[in-house]
Amino acid sequence: MWDLILNPFVTILAWLYAALNQDIVLAIVVLTVIIRILTFPLFAKQQESSKKMQQIQPQLKKLQEKYKNDKEKLSQAQMKLYRENKVNPVGGCFPMLIQFPILIGLYQAIFFALAATPFQLVDLSERLLVPGLDSLIPLQRMWTPIPPLASLLPELDLTLAPLENPHYALLLPLLVLVTTWGQQKLTMGTMGQNKSNKDDDDDDNGAPAGGQAAAMTKSMTTIMPIMFGFFSLQFSVGLSIYFVTSNLIGVVQYSPQGKRLLERVFRRKSADEPPVEVIFEDDEPPKKTRKRKKKKPRKK
Amino acid sequence: MYIYIRRRLHLLLLLALTLLTLPACVGARMGVSWPAVGLIDLNGETQIALAYNNEVTLLTPSNGAPAGLVNPVDGSLLRDNQNNPRTWVLRGSDNGGAQFHTAPFRIDDETVIIVDHNRRLLRVDSVIVEVQRSFPLLDKVVANPLEAGGVLYVPFLNGGLSAISLDDYRELWRFPTDAGIWAQPLLVNDMLILSSIDHYLYAVDRETGHRIWSVDLGGAVASTPLLANDRLYIGSFNKSFFEISLDGVILSQYATQNWVWGTPAIDEYGIVYVTDLSGYVHALDTSGGLRERWSAQIAERGVRAGPIVYGERVIVASRDGKVYWLDRNDGQLINAREIDGRPELLGDMMLLEPSPTLAIDAPLLLVNSVDEGRLLIAFGIDGRQTWVYPR
Repeated sequence: MWDLILNPFVTILAWLYAALNQDIVLAIVVLTVIIRILTFPLFAKQQESSKKMQQIQPQLKKLQEKYKNDKEKLSQAQMKLYRENKVNPVGGCFPMLIQFPILIGLYQAIFFALAATPFQLVDLSERLLVPGLDSLIPLQRMWTPIPPLASLLPELDLTLAPLENPHYALLLPLLVLVTTWGQQKLTMGTMGQNKSNKDDDDDDNGAPAGGQAAAMTKSMTTIMPIMFGFFSLQFSVGLSIYFVTSNLIGVVQYSPQGKRLLERVFRRKSADEPPVEVIFEDDEPPKKTRKRKKKKPRKK
Repeated sequence: MYIYIRRRLHLLLLLALTLLTLPACVGARMGVSWPAVGLIDLNGETQIALAYNNEVTLLTPSNGAPAGLVNPVDGSLLRDNQNNPRTWVLRGSDNGGAQFHTAPFRIDDETVIIVDHNRRLLRVDSVIVEVQRSFPLLDKVVANPLEAGGVLYVPFLNGGLSAISLDDYRELWRFPTDAGIWAQPLLVNDMLILSSIDHYLYAVDRETGHRIWSVDLGGAVASTPLLANDRLYIGSFNKSFFEISLDGVILSQYATQNWVWGTPAIDEYGIVYVTDLSGYVHALDTSGGLRERWSAQIAERGVRAGPIVYGERVIVASRDGKVYWLDRNDGQLINAREIDGRPELLGDMMLLEPSPTLAIDAPLLLVNSVDEGRLLIAFGIDGRQTWVYPR
């Protein structure tokens, strides 16, 4: 079952390797870009869903206070709020879950395509779906630095971890850490900005809406880069290339200019529309305020 | 029911995705290679040497039991502190976490050489099974080295081969290749034939290490060639099988269904039997080029190891966990034996003929698997299982 995802990735990677002058680093970069572009609608949907959830947080908080003694009513009211605002409370998770197999498949494709041992090569024999790619095996897994540096820096083995490679390979986990942090900061920053605007507008008590979520978000921004940096230290250098490329695309994607561009390309509607105010049956009708008629200037 | 399914659709989707993702999280197989099996003569007896991952063991051919350590002076069994008989086992855990994927070989009755995967050549005292000395190597090793005339030819995982003197363990010369050498070199006259996954078959002068010729086989070459009638027979990952003259000219070529990894076998009529990684066996007549006599898909998965020809049978072991006995005349399936749990059978098979030093009275077929619970399985030539060695 898993092979249905993995084998096409391995095949495309091998094909790109052939098409890009047998440059495996370039092949990994291009495949990562293709995957990120193809999965962009999923990323966008996830972002949109998170944003909408943030927007209705003040209303949710009001409902929680209003129905704190009636859980059933609270649940009904929340559902109505979600419905009116077209928000699926778990909607943000599904696009993310669908991305997981894709991302893991891509990582494993790098691992299998760069087969470095007999076991890995035997596995690869069942994964190439297009005839003619067999003559490329084994894919070149050594990376030579660009010409001015080639004489100074030894080659990198993309199948080995940074610690087993020349010392300068340790820059890669660092790069992964920095780019993951940059991407996280941009992602969370957009949501945070949006949320703080709403807090200013709607929160009567002055308490931040979704304070727990904010704390979680903050810790994610710290933990995720460290976690990915650690992964990069343990796993092959090829994986670091994938992480760095993917993060840089994320940075472009979440930067204001990038977002505008992608929205134009994919013709997405902005999620920055104000949330729908929902009125419940037992709500007090909003007080009518008399509008003062503007005095017409007297004719002299 | 429909409403129930609709309500639970999210949960079902989540479950399906989790099931899909979990196997991937387990990670790709991290193993290096399959078991290596060889024969070793110590104190007048021939034992089976089995090397896999973190252990090298000698086994008694008649029953597959670990061979006991014998006092060379009086012939008595050596015993440990608890008075249990000591067995011939070299553990990687006692030797700096060594990993083994090559079979050991004997220097004399008291010395065995083992090349480990940790870039070391180990000189082992075979009486007490202890490493006497270790010598650093250039790279990791996954193919059996070749010993000839006091020189050890060690092929490396990531490319190249070193000729090492067994007198002083000094490197005599080094032959570079662009990618790994994953098969034992073959000595033909004064030429070493090396197959490399850099797509080339090389002939190298055994004394100087100079290249005599090389031939591009269009794909990775990972097996030792078969030498027969002054011809070399070898397959490549380019889905091709070749007949090559001893001066490096391709004389004939045959298209297979998938990569050819195993060393072929030949019978007395000059019919070569070739296996490939689509589970096919091909019988090729070598009189006047390579002409197909029959070709049949016999296994559900690929066949990595080369076949064995014995009498009227061709025997192959597949990744599908089965051993197949075929009629060598037409490729008809005669017998198939499934190994319990159907572990992948990737290592080379070995056929033991009865002999006084082996102490067996009938031929034994040794098949190794990657399942440590059934690491080595011995079959009679009729397919009857004789013994199993679990680790």
